[in-house]
Amino acid sequence: MNTNLREQTNKSKLTKIISFIVIIAVLAIFPHVGSDYGRNILILIFLYMAIGHMWNLLAGYTGLVSLGMQAFIGISGYVLALVVQVNGLPIALAFVVAAVIAILFALLISLPIFKMKGVYFTIGTWIIAEALYVFFVNWKFVNFGIGYNITAAYRMNMNAFYYMCMIIGIIATLIVVVILRSKMGLALMAMRDNEDAAEMRGVRLYRTKLFCFLVASVMTAITGVALYLNLATIRPGPAFSIDWTVAMCFIVIIGGIGTIEGPIIGAIIYVLLTQFLYSFPGYSNLILGIIAVALILAAPKGIMGYLEDRFGFDIFGIRRRL
Amino acid sequence: MEALVQSIFSGILLGGLYAVVGVGLSIVFGIMGLTNIAHGNMMIMCSFLIMVFGTMCGGNIIVMLLLAVVCVVVFGFLFQNFLVNKVIDKGANPALLVTFGISIVIQNVLTLIFGADSRSLQNAFSTKNIVSTEWLSISGGYLLDFIVAVIVILALSFFIKNTRIGRAIRASSNDVRAAELMGVNTKMMYTVTMCIAMVTACIAGLLVGQTFVFYPYSGPQYLIIAFGVVVIGGMGSIPGTLLGGIILGLAQLLGSHFFGPGYQVFCGYIVMLILLTVCPAGLLGNAKRK
Repeated sequence: MNTNLREQTNKSKLTKIISFIVIIAVLAIFPHVGSDYGRNILILIFLYMAIGHMWNLLAGYTGLVSLGMQAFIGISGYVLALVVQVNGLPIALAFVVAAVIAILFALLISLPIFKMKGVYFTIGTWIIAEALYVFFVNWKFVNFGIGYNITAAYRMNMNAFYYMCMIIGIIATLIVVVILRSKMGLALMAMRDNEDAAEMRGVRLYRTKLFCFLVASVMTAITGVALYLNLATIRPGPAFSIDWTVAMCFIVIIGGIGTIEGPIIGAIIYVLLTQFLYSFPGYSNLILGIIAVALILAAPKGIMGYLEDRFGFDIFGIRRRL
Repeated sequence: MEALVQSIFSGILLGGLYAVVGVGLSIVFGIMGLTNIAHGNMMIMCSFLIMVFGTMCGGNIIVMLLLAVVCVVVFGFLFQNFLVNKVIDKGANPALLVTFGISIVIQNVLTLIFGADSRSLQNAFSTKNIVSTEWLSISGGYLLDFIVAVIVILALSFFIKNTRIGRAIRASSNDVRAAELMGVNTKMMYTVTMCIAMVTACIAGLLVGQTFVFYPYSGPQYLIIAFGVVVIGGMGSIPGTLLGGIILGLAQLLGSHFFGPGYQVFCGYIVMLILLTVCPAGLLGNAKRK
């Protein structure tokens, strides 16, 4: 009986690994066989998947619902503009600088905002992002509200950029899987479900939260550089706009909050839907909002949560089953 | 010196406006533990409604306000009854996200109907200087903001403390099950609360419209102000919103006085963050949180 079960799990593990390799191989050869449009769509899916994963790590597993993640996207976009456009340095440096600044900024803001709990944290992070926006509009160093065009982005090799985005997407997924499968993952879920009980059992709340916040900030910032390489123009308004977090939120909720597969499915749906809705200018956000509300009412746990409850469907297996 | 006195007075009066903007958010949070992210956009929706009724039937500001109040109370009823009440038992996040979705919907519908132009409800009274000395000048609009704020907050405090419905509302906020055992329909009380919050949003919409210009996408900006007011004063405390509003108004105008007008909003945010850090439950908030 027991060996039978083990054989079965081994078998399903093998199928999983093979299907992952097939998916990654298909994605890797896609730019050489597929259309340019398809490639650009996939780039967007990888990037939105990465920021979706990070928001999910915070909101779905750590219980830190942040409405201020756009702060890191805006900062990294400006780092890219300053490094590449103003000083003419290589793009790779922008990633490093953005990651370093994101860590420093996250550490700095963690001092006040980790004193806030629940909804206060949500509001505090949003206020920080809005304050940054106002500050950047008034800051001469970053060209006030005019912003920059990142012309280096036009000269980029799009296939190389595609692989970069693919790696970012895969790394973001791996980070979440690794964190959740580790001891810390267990601590995180305990913390999300009952903070006091978790602390009694020896979970270091502050350190665990801070670690997740730093990871999410750095990954969001790195993805932000790639997003702005794709957009090739930056102004403070869109850079620090709540729309970034709206997108993350939408991706995670549609896919299923607190699941690993959720942000992947959510990002695919979000990107395809926004592309489709471009033909209806003005209505796109409206329709997104209606879909989000309808989905929360119909399936509060999102698509993955629904499938899991219904069919016990679980790809990454991060849950510990009793 | 004159400029400083002017800033202080304008800051206090502006604080009244901010208090009315925040009070709807505060009671919704205090009674049902829901952070209504759509509050800012609902308020701007009210401004547009008042504007529409103004152009339709002209002139009388009271009639305009009453018509708009009726509309948004119906809206609040539908919103609470058919959307929020369905998910409010399933934890904090689904309800929060419903209001988030509705806020996106409202903003985009307003942009579709009215375009992205700036609008205003300014009239002869709101731009006239009521007090005009060499030390300070106060426009009718600002004075009206503050007076209405005090009236709204006193009336709301009285309503929640002393009436039968107010008691039922407080009971449902303290203990849902006990209130239901005593025969209080808690979901109905939530709906009543949302309708009251919509009335305050309507008044706030009128005041904002006659003090500043507004756009379809001004909602989030006022939502942050409302958040600031409420977290400074203490979530759920009605007198706290007036205090929070005055502190925020003073912070903004003094910031603009000392650092230049570009930093007006920035100083407001910084003061909010500092107060949130030092005093996480708000100045007049009780330690109990839902």
